[in-house]
Amino acid sequence: MTDCDIKPSDYTIKEPYNMTARIQWLRDYYFKGVERAWNNEYTSWTTGTPWDFQYNEMSFYIVPETYSFLQTFRSSFRQIANPVALHPEFWKWTLPERRAWFNKEVMVRYLPKEILPCDLITGGRFNVQTSCCLNKQETEQRDKLIYGPKGARAAMLWFHNHGYGNAGATSGHLVPDYGRIIREGWKSVHAELEAAYAALTPAEQSGKKGGQLKAMLTAATMPRDLAAEYAKECTRLAKSEPDAARRDELLQMAENLNIVPWEPPQTFWQAIQSLWLTHMLVMSDENYPGPGDSFGRIDQFLYPAWQKSRELGVDIEFDKDVLKCFWIHCNTAYDGMIRTGGNQGITAGYGQLLTLSGMGANGEDMTNELTYVMMDVIDEMSPILEPKPNVRLHRGSPDKLLERVVEMIAASQGSPFLINFDERSMAGMMLQARKSGVSHLINENNVFDYAPVGCLENTMVGNDRSGTVDANLNLLKAVELALTGGYDLVPFVDPMTGKADQPQRWGENTGDAAQFQTWEQFWQAYEAQTRHIIKRIVDLYEQSEAVRSAFHLTPYVSCLVKGCAQKGLDITQGGAELGYVTIEAVTYATAVDSLLAVKTLVYDQKVCSMAEFIQALKDNWVGHEVLQARALNKAPKYGRDDDAADEMGRKVMELWTEETWKYRTQSTGRQYRPGMLSWNYWVADSFILPASPDGRPRGKFLSNALCPSNGADTNGPTANVNSVGKVLGGKAPDGNGDWEDYLNLLPNGGSHTMTFNPSLLRDPEHRAKFKAFLQGYIENGGTALQVNLLNADMLRDAQKHPENYRHLLVRVTGYNAYFTTIGRELQDEIIARESHSIR
Amino acid sequence: MSDIEVTGRILHLQRLSTEDGPGIRTTVFFKGCPLRCVWCHNPESLSTQPQTQWFAVRCLGCQTCIESCPDHCLTMTDSGLIIDRERCQGCGKCAEACPAGALETLGKVIAVDELLYELLKDRAYYEKSGGGVTLSGGEPTLQAEFAEGLLYSLKKEGIHTALDTCGLTSQHTLEGLLPYTDLVLFDLKLLDPVLHQQHTGASNQRILDNLLFIRQTMEKQGYPQDLWVRTPLIPEVTTTQENLTAIGEYLALNLNSHVSRWELCAFNNLCRDQYTRLGMVWDFANTPLLTQDTLYQCEQIAKNSGVNPEIVIASGATRALDPL
Repeated sequence: MTDCDIKPSDYTIKEPYNMTARIQWLRDYYFKGVERAWNNEYTSWTTGTPWDFQYNEMSFYIVPETYSFLQTFRSSFRQIANPVALHPEFWKWTLPERRAWFNKEVMVRYLPKEILPCDLITGGRFNVQTSCCLNKQETEQRDKLIYGPKGARAAMLWFHNHGYGNAGATSGHLVPDYGRIIREGWKSVHAELEAAYAALTPAEQSGKKGGQLKAMLTAATMPRDLAAEYAKECTRLAKSEPDAARRDELLQMAENLNIVPWEPPQTFWQAIQSLWLTHMLVMSDENYPGPGDSFGRIDQFLYPAWQKSRELGVDIEFDKDVLKCFWIHCNTAYDGMIRTGGNQGITAGYGQLLTLSGMGANGEDMTNELTYVMMDVIDEMSPILEPKPNVRLHRGSPDKLLERVVEMIAASQGSPFLINFDERSMAGMMLQARKSGVSHLINENNVFDYAPVGCLENTMVGNDRSGTVDANLNLLKAVELALTGGYDLVPFVDPMTGKADQPQRWGENTGDAAQFQTWEQFWQAYEAQTRHIIKRIVDLYEQSEAVRSAFHLTPYVSCLVKGCAQKGLDITQGGAELGYVTIEAVTYATAVDSLLAVKTLVYDQKVCSMAEFIQALKDNWVGHEVLQARALNKAPKYGRDDDAADEMGRKVMELWTEETWKYRTQSTGRQYRPGMLSWNYWVADSFILPASPDGRPRGKFLSNALCPSNGADTNGPTANVNSVGKVLGGKAPDGNGDWEDYLNLLPNGGSHTMTFNPSLLRDPEHRAKFKAFLQGYIENGGTALQVNLLNADMLRDAQKHPENYRHLLVRVTGYNAYFTTIGRELQDEIIARESHSIR
Repeated sequence: MSDIEVTGRILHLQRLSTEDGPGIRTTVFFKGCPLRCVWCHNPESLSTQPQTQWFAVRCLGCQTCIESCPDHCLTMTDSGLIIDRERCQGCGKCAEACPAGALETLGKVIAVDELLYELLKDRAYYEKSGGGVTLSGGEPTLQAEFAEGLLYSLKKEGIHTALDTCGLTSQHTLEGLLPYTDLVLFDLKLLDPVLHQQHTGASNQRILDNLLFIRQTMEKQGYPQDLWVRTPLIPEVTTTQENLTAIGEYLALNLNSHVSRWELCAFNNLCRDQYTRLGMVWDFANTPLLTQDTLYQCEQIAKNSGVNPEIVIASGATRALDPL
């Protein structure tokens, strides 16, 4: 019953539905892209000094595709920058004061205030590149640290070119304390800052702390003053508006802006207006268009306002339109480089993540009416990339919610949301509390209020920056170094000059693997090299972290993160109460399978010598096809629910996570913590990393995040899920896990994507089975799951006829992407994924 | 009463099985079947003996297998690997030696306790879905002691059990298995004994007797709790109006309050390559899938045959209207 033959109807792509004329117009207008008269593309702003620049390239060190353009971006933004008339005292201020004032000036006074016809919320332009506000000396210092021969850029390029991965202090990727703005308004933030400033000694007031707090005080008035400007524009438009209904709307919008975001909202409409202005200014402050700027538990903190509007008798359909306007606004983040490439420069989702449902105190379920309304809005609006929804499930999730989740998965190709699993996630957060000594900030009384960031990276809310995408490490590199005693297996050749590296021992001297007599010796070498690669990524990250904390402050974001006001420290300087840097391990399954292959073929079965094995890898398996076939077919693999193989996986997990906990950043004191999110590195880095012992030749994709290697999960989806749960730690045999009986070595969580054949959800009976599968996942699986419901034939058709599939969204890893806009390699990879069907 | 060390020969396990009973199940495919249905979808399950098959696409041509065979059954020719099936005893040495997984030996011997350990790995999914384990094949009753040990062990663990049987077995065997069986999936292919003999190699007399025996234990002993009947829809063989009506009338007359589901399973041809790999000829190799219309008609005939129409469920692949 797997193979229901393909009927043309199977190729129907999910379409939006149930849209009012207002939303239809806004959505259609949005998708006109470059043909729009209005857009939110970058504008650039300068202090006017000859040394001025805007672009902070470090935020893009984790995007290797941009490396060739870093200098171009810097120069281009500089070239198109508009001058801002500076305050006479400007250069006397501390750096954070300069930056806060400059950004506010641009946002409130310089950028045009535009409102689209029929839109219900204001806040149009926010993509800006603003001056870094450095004086000449600061610029020279900063540039030396970036561009010098041992600077951050060269170090980052070396690291990437040699197959270790990438790292850089990156913007976004946190859940600001939006809940507080909705509860208390910005005035409360402002009052707290005033009190903190007043509590300083005069010396402190004129020092660094005082400068930071003054900067934050300026930043905290930016949303109020911007709202006032938009209110004026609403009133102006109302005057000339011929349509009475629209005129009333505009007047109400002006009224809303007179209240929020300074005061707490009195209606749901005001709450959304408050949230949007507050959120878009985060993106402005960081000059970073949204990746990972996440909303947290939106159905919880907006619920009181939702209830107020219900009491006031506001039509639910109207409030749904307000939400849908918010949806469209979130998507204008992509306008940043709207003229770049096809599809308006959009390829993958940025990840302004919102979280729905989940557990509350005492384990109760927090699903409410707004949860379901938001699910409806997601369903009615999809396919659309932003905001990106994440639904939290747990043992107590109600059937109605589970059924709605399954229904929505069935109706679209990739599930329209990510699914997070509370018990496993919370076990990881509790481990984090213990490992980093913050049990007073994360404990059983508040851990349920965690929320994922970006895709699935679990953090606490409103007081936490966990640098969830900042450090991406290829675990496989340690296997390579263990085989060679610390050398690159194949020397790096510079593609520009054609020059090859001289052989040099970069890693630990773990000896000649060919002389190892036992598996244990090899494992020890692997351990040493794992310690080495973690040390290396920590050192690399320190370079950009130090530069950011000295020169790229974000006082506005700091207002929204608890700890910054109290410490008088910017968030970039470690101001957050909870400061982490997450090392996201990439190539996990490839590394585990490689170790299994070495152990099985060289030491257990002795089918070849280590010297032969290493030679085969150096030759990229050419001439060693029989050995390669054995590695592929005769060695155990992670992902089959094979206890022995999964035990290797758990050992690898334990080793690298334990090592990760040993480090903190020197410049900002942030604790390193482990996670697994591979973004798309497992595709691109497969061309950098040489052949691996699992049978993979160079250029064949590495494994993705926590997923088993492609095609390795031959025992089906439940076995795949069970393996994932086991390597995270499984459940405590005595029932005393870190949350109930659950254990989880990855507090950040791990990305797990599974592809199923649509026939698995073909009728109510099978949808009920899929629901039970998700409930089984809660028990046995990982922290998060993305489901693709795809048929390989459909994807091949989409490759042939991309014009018919412009809106086809697929899950890549933790994020959705338009299938037709991603590279051919990634397309092929998605087609190649084991499609879990049923019989 | 049951020995967990007793062994049996199985083909493989299918996890997340959603088509062999309620909920999420693991289906255990037993090797060996007493019937020889001409349309058989699982030719590898017919023989009780291990069999070797070769996948041309996986083969590297390294010929490691040829030396590994103690009985010298393998020859590499221009048209591929030839297995001398007269001599091959299915020892599995070639499959073990083959680096590429191009040779497979079908049918491995496994003990009840070892199998149970594997099956319990998906307990969470069974429990959440109301699923469990289905014994299928092949014919589980052919390995009665093993099947009984397995069913007994599963029930001891509180797992829902289903027995998928062709019905050609002894009453004695059923007496041993049914106490540990929650659901019987009973195949009823053709009601006419002559046609049954002609297409499956055996009369259906004993099969029908056993079906009535199951009814009797349901009534008297209270087990199995449930009974589903399954009819494969084989074009021109089982899909006739006469056959489907006769089966329906038989069910209505004898088992009206016992059968809770009558599944009509559409013919499929996925096993075509399997026949080739096993060196077997299949009469249905060129038979197309049912059309959507035929499947619908069969469903209507069944629904109008006198059984409660709500128990009739037709499923499976149908012919593509517009082949791509």
